[in-house]
Amino acid sequence: MNDESMPLATRSATRRSQVVAICVNDEWHEVTVRPRHMLVEVLREAIGLTGTKDGCEQGACGACTVLIDGTPALSCMTVALECDGKQVRTVEGLAQGGQVSPIQQAFLDQGAIQCGFCTPGMLMSITSLLERNPRPSVPEIKKALEGNLCRCTGYNAIVDAVLQASGQGVQPIMK
Amino acid sequence: MEPLSYVGKSVRRKDGPDKVTGRAVYSQDVKLPGTLVGRILRSPHPHARIVRIDASRARQLPGVKAVITVDDTKGIKHGFVETPRYPPDQEVLARDRVRFVGEEIAAVAAVDQVIAQRAIDLIDVEYELLPAVFDPFEAMKPDAPEIHPTLPNVRSETALSNIAGRTATGWGDVDEGFAQADYVREDRFESHLRTHGYLEPQATLAHWEDDKLNVWTSSMGTFVKRAKLAKVLDLPYSAVRIHKTYVGGTFGGKIDLYSHEYCAARLSMITGRPVRMVATREEIFSAYRHGQPLVMEIKTGVRKDGIIVAQQVRAINNAGAYRGSGVVVIFLAWGFTMLPYRIPNLAYEGLSVYTNYPLRAPQRGHGCPQIRFAIESQLDRIAEDLGIDPVTIRLRNARKPWEELPNGDNVHEAGLIDCIKLAAEKSGFLARHGQGRRQTSTIRRGIGMGVSSYFGGSLIYPNGSGVIVKMADDGSATVLTGAIDVGQGAETVIAQIVAEELYLPIEDVRIISSDTDTTPQDIGAWISGMTYVTGNAARQAAGNARTKLLQVAAEKFGCEIEALETRDKIVRNRANPDQQLTYREVIALSIATRRGDTVIGEGFWRTMRDEPTHPSLATTKGRWSENYAFSCQVAEVEVDTETGEARVLKAWTVHDCGFAVNPALVKGQVDGQVSMALGHAFLEEILTKDGYTLNPSWLDYRMPTVHEMASSDDAEIVTEQYTVGKSYRVKEVGEGLVSGVLAAIANAIYDATGVRMQSTPFTPEKLLRGLRQLERKGRPGRQDRDAEKDADEPAAATLD
Repeated sequence: MNDESMPLATRSATRRSQVVAICVNDEWHEVTVRPRHMLVEVLREAIGLTGTKDGCEQGACGACTVLIDGTPALSCMTVALECDGKQVRTVEGLAQGGQVSPIQQAFLDQGAIQCGFCTPGMLMSITSLLERNPRPSVPEIKKALEGNLCRCTGYNAIVDAVLQASGQGVQPIMK
Repeated sequence: MEPLSYVGKSVRRKDGPDKVTGRAVYSQDVKLPGTLVGRILRSPHPHARIVRIDASRARQLPGVKAVITVDDTKGIKHGFVETPRYPPDQEVLARDRVRFVGEEIAAVAAVDQVIAQRAIDLIDVEYELLPAVFDPFEAMKPDAPEIHPTLPNVRSETALSNIAGRTATGWGDVDEGFAQADYVREDRFESHLRTHGYLEPQATLAHWEDDKLNVWTSSMGTFVKRAKLAKVLDLPYSAVRIHKTYVGGTFGGKIDLYSHEYCAARLSMITGRPVRMVATREEIFSAYRHGQPLVMEIKTGVRKDGIIVAQQVRAINNAGAYRGSGVVVIFLAWGFTMLPYRIPNLAYEGLSVYTNYPLRAPQRGHGCPQIRFAIESQLDRIAEDLGIDPVTIRLRNARKPWEELPNGDNVHEAGLIDCIKLAAEKSGFLARHGQGRRQTSTIRRGIGMGVSSYFGGSLIYPNGSGVIVKMADDGSATVLTGAIDVGQGAETVIAQIVAEELYLPIEDVRIISSDTDTTPQDIGAWISGMTYVTGNAARQAAGNARTKLLQVAAEKFGCEIEALETRDKIVRNRANPDQQLTYREVIALSIATRRGDTVIGEGFWRTMRDEPTHPSLATTKGRWSENYAFSCQVAEVEVDTETGEARVLKAWTVHDCGFAVNPALVKGQVDGQVSMALGHAFLEEILTKDGYTLNPSWLDYRMPTVHEMASSDDAEIVTEQYTVGKSYRVKEVGEGLVSGVLAAIANAIYDATGVRMQSTPFTPEKLLRGLRQLERKGRPGRQDRDAEKDADEPAAATLD
């Protein structure tokens, strides 16, 4: 996206910029993208929403998980061009009117956060799960989170947070 | 004793709201206008002479702003350890020779990622290949390729090649000890190459502006980072500012100076523009620093009752191509050998050996998981051979409170004996142990135990932490601390202590942290002493501010300070409750009557205040720490004898961390370490061939997912306490607890199957091989030494 790059033969061959319209957290953005651009770059660099984390660019860690039309997707593996006209939700869109969502609150209450780098992706996977299934069982929770790596917590507190947020009898351990 | 409001409570994380909303800024999130993208050219060879580097084509590429090689550096070497015995051995970019695949040769700054990578591809390097060596035992042979000349002083101690460092220590007389022993065992154990797996990639943004270098980088201690970076750039410390960022996991892997940090800085100094370097995950897996693999040869002599009389330990470290933390891990392996049990006669030798692998870094536990796996496995074998149960043999050897360690340190109120007893009780250990091998089904369960101990803080640069508490004129407080929150909860713990000491609601405590220009110096989050050292500094600073508040109020009331009490941001005269002032009023009064004094408290702390420096890495002489944590962990595993798959069903952790300042944060540390241990045990391995990494991705390097979540039960043996206004002692909890679980898993696998694991990881292949051998022998049992050999070769090497 930089003029200085234009004389490059290698670049001009693939320089097929296109304007796409993406609705992120209920706001439409028009962004010029190239075929090689992934959604995570557009969110973080062009739109400036850095809450979505870029952990591996290999589709392996889940830190970049966002919701596209309500479905969890790895934004590092999603070609930005294909997001034209799509609804994208990121971690920045979870709190409403300054109020954190129940799963965000449960993360705070259960100690489900340590370094915080997996947290945005985890929250998006769980948000989608709870929208589909308001009272998920532990196996269902594990299934929904199997693509999200966490190196800090051992996952116990994260699963507890989902149980708390879905009103399944788990009480806050932090006050 | 008055009840505590915050210390000892599971207070929610201070950084929590930032982290659940996406507001938390990590190094990769910082943006500056005009930022250039940096990339690094890495060696494709494990060992080669650099004949020529031609960067002219890269320099001419439009969009490239700078290219650097070693000729653009000051040639200042650096190292994880920099002592007279072990001078730094690494340059920031390779000079004349590359010693591992991925070694940094050149770096570029360009306007975008594609051009930067294109420029890297245009740098022409001519290599002359040199013979490479990857096995430490091969590397020690006289005719091995020389990776670095052995230092003269180390050379005189050993005739071996490629010795990066040596630790030799001991006490008593091992020969005498073994002569007195009723039973002597020798075993050889190996640990494998694993990596930290921090989710946040290594990322650095550097901006040189007005003779000042501003840096945002993922680290474990901004002051250490500043010192190392300033040194290789030949800048005064004050010309470098490391800014605070959140850090997305470290586990030991982000403490040392990395070439990309230097390159981002140097490229910014050349171009005058901000330069960002973000390592790809593939680079991190293939060229960055992993943990320390060790080979451990252990000979132990015991009396009939299982009491250890002598131990001889040799630990060989595959250090990689530069010294890194290899010379530290061979010191630490000694320490973690001698901490939990009394060893009247010990001979210890640690060798760190150069090979053509990437150099290594500390990884959570730094030698402790490896050596405890070895010693605890052997102790179980000894116990079985003597007909003693695993609990009893541990209780008989465990250190008691107030024992003096052979290095002169004291264990204080060591809770190890209580840890072992409670862990055995909670897990129902003795009722379950020994049942596994009686099972005939293909799914078998077993239970095992492991003990460990960990130091809590030592002396290393910058040796001490300072904290400043500034009262705001509304009565709230801002804390300036160099402590860095890498996920462990440093900011929360410090806020709890300040709130407690100042009798403030915790909401009124704000933390400004880990910025080298605006916060006081701090030891950092890597020497296992932050809650103790920085926490005591915070306690002192808050206490200092409170004293000032009381002095102002006492003057106004015409009473002694001792007559005052503070509650809900109000200072009150106990004798005359009508005399009261809010903090806000006291601060206004202080400004009015004390020539503008806005009330600022300061505090500082250093561990082992009378000790000049850290202990000798060569001889272990000198004090190491004044706080030692102890733990006993139990694991229950389930093994499928048809597939060789094993998994942890449940882990019990009973530990003595003194007291938990924040029990929920401690619980988080326990769970995370159990998870890391089972990754170590079953899943994770960096696979290499000829120095190349074969699995540079999380798709092929399997880290525990939510499906591998283990049920983790924990309990604390409380041995210390907190009193407002007094110094306190807490012990380590953030990295020592990988060890006991790992050992417990190995022992549990044996309990379930009769197969003894002599090396990590505990793969299905090894288990099946061992099971097959046992079948051939007819029945599982203790005599099957050959089974183990076969399961896990090479085994049973004899000690020199």
